[in-house]
Amino acid sequence: MVSGSRLERLLRQGDFAVCGEMSPPQGADRASILRKCDYFKGVVDGVNLTDNQTAIVRMSSVMSSVFVIEGGCEPVMQMTCRDRNRLAQQSDLLGAYAAGVRNVLCLTGDYQSFGTHADAKGVFDLDSVQLIHTLADMNAGKFMSGEEIKPPPAFFIGGAANPFAEPLDLRIIRLAKKIAAGAHFIQTQPVFDFPRFDKWMSLVRDEGLDEQVFILVGVMPVRSVKALLYMKEEVPGVSIADEYVERMESVAGDKERSQEEGVAICVETMKRLRETPGVKGIHIMPVMWESITRRLVEEAGLLPRPELAAVEEPAPEPVESK
Amino acid sequence: MSKLSAKLASFTEKHPTLYKCTVIGENVVKKTVFGCQDCGQCVLSHNAFTCCMRCPKQIRNGPCGGTRADGHCEVYPNRHCVWWLINKRSKWMGRAGKLSKYHIPVDRRLEHTSAWMNMFAGRILPMDLSKKLHDVELPKTEPPPQR
Repeated sequence: MVSGSRLERLLRQGDFAVCGEMSPPQGADRASILRKCDYFKGVVDGVNLTDNQTAIVRMSSVMSSVFVIEGGCEPVMQMTCRDRNRLAQQSDLLGAYAAGVRNVLCLTGDYQSFGTHADAKGVFDLDSVQLIHTLADMNAGKFMSGEEIKPPPAFFIGGAANPFAEPLDLRIIRLAKKIAAGAHFIQTQPVFDFPRFDKWMSLVRDEGLDEQVFILVGVMPVRSVKALLYMKEEVPGVSIADEYVERMESVAGDKERSQEEGVAICVETMKRLRETPGVKGIHIMPVMWESITRRLVEEAGLLPRPELAAVEEPAPEPVESK
Repeated sequence: MSKLSAKLASFTEKHPTLYKCTVIGENVVKKTVFGCQDCGQCVLSHNAFTCCMRCPKQIRNGPCGGTRADGHCEVYPNRHCVWWLINKRSKWMGRAGKLSKYHIPVDRRLEHTSAWMNMFAGRILPMDLSKKLHDVELPKTEPPPQR
């Protein structure tokens, strides 16, 4: 046990984990986060808080995570390398841990030109693998500089993987690198292409990587064929099978039937992933459609969420200095 | 050998004109041939002689999740993803084993200095995940002169 977070304890006791995802508001709006927590309470084991995703300014993932704790959920704080250098990253991590954040997902971050501030300077002081290594160092009580951290944090460290982008073999090498750097769990991009995903997953199993890390696979409910086509054509590194486009197209124009079909596809995907060997959990990414999470989890047969077993090895309590 | 190269680096760095000429010489070769971005801690030999600092996100442990199906970059669709190129060329050159090496964070103090001299002076740290960054003892040489 590293951090003692609910997500970590569930995964370590062998249960199938479910993570949700929330976009922090594009305003100074604490209430909206607390309101959205009601969609996730008792439904998922961790809620990802995105860090200015697609390079659009939103409330910081650190503060949003704090509000999510207030709202009664467990946050999975995302941290990118786009907006902070190594000093800011380490200081934000210390603050987040002190506020009760235990799960961190390390990402390189979307390039700034995709967002609303295309003229910004991207920092990219570290990359995601180096950030994972930094967190592992911090867990071990050392800053990157080698100076001691008193008292050190204890994070459950996450990394991302994209099974759908090229080149496939290098992705496996990079995943192994992230694990060697200290990642405890991995979250992937949403699955809309099972042949490709199965190929990736079999390579992961061949290397034995699924035994060394908890793999949580992404799923995304889509509301319309337009959203799906946008992903297919505009978002790089995403692969969408024609079968899903055809299914969404068959109900195009009818908002309600489109939503139903989107939910049906998502639930099917979740059920199939649950049967896939090596998959330890699901990460639901309902972009701006958080309210659907409960229905997805319920229909996939993942409710109620399992109880935590009594802890044999107590999680490290945060130490207060005297 | 390492003593000799350290001496060579120290001699070059003590003579500003000589150092400047070294930097210019290095730049002429590396910028024209490899599109060098002047990070001062060259990893070309690990990356099949393709500069990973040309990646818009400057990822040393690439690639990011945005490589397109045709192997092009998500930011500049008319360019190849450098890590896609590194992967292809590493295999072609029989250097695929080097792809699994971990690259430590860039030492920003070495940017715009001579990577050759930094290598001779032992300033470029080993890339090994079994070592933590703070376990590696930095050589006690003077920082290189800025160009």
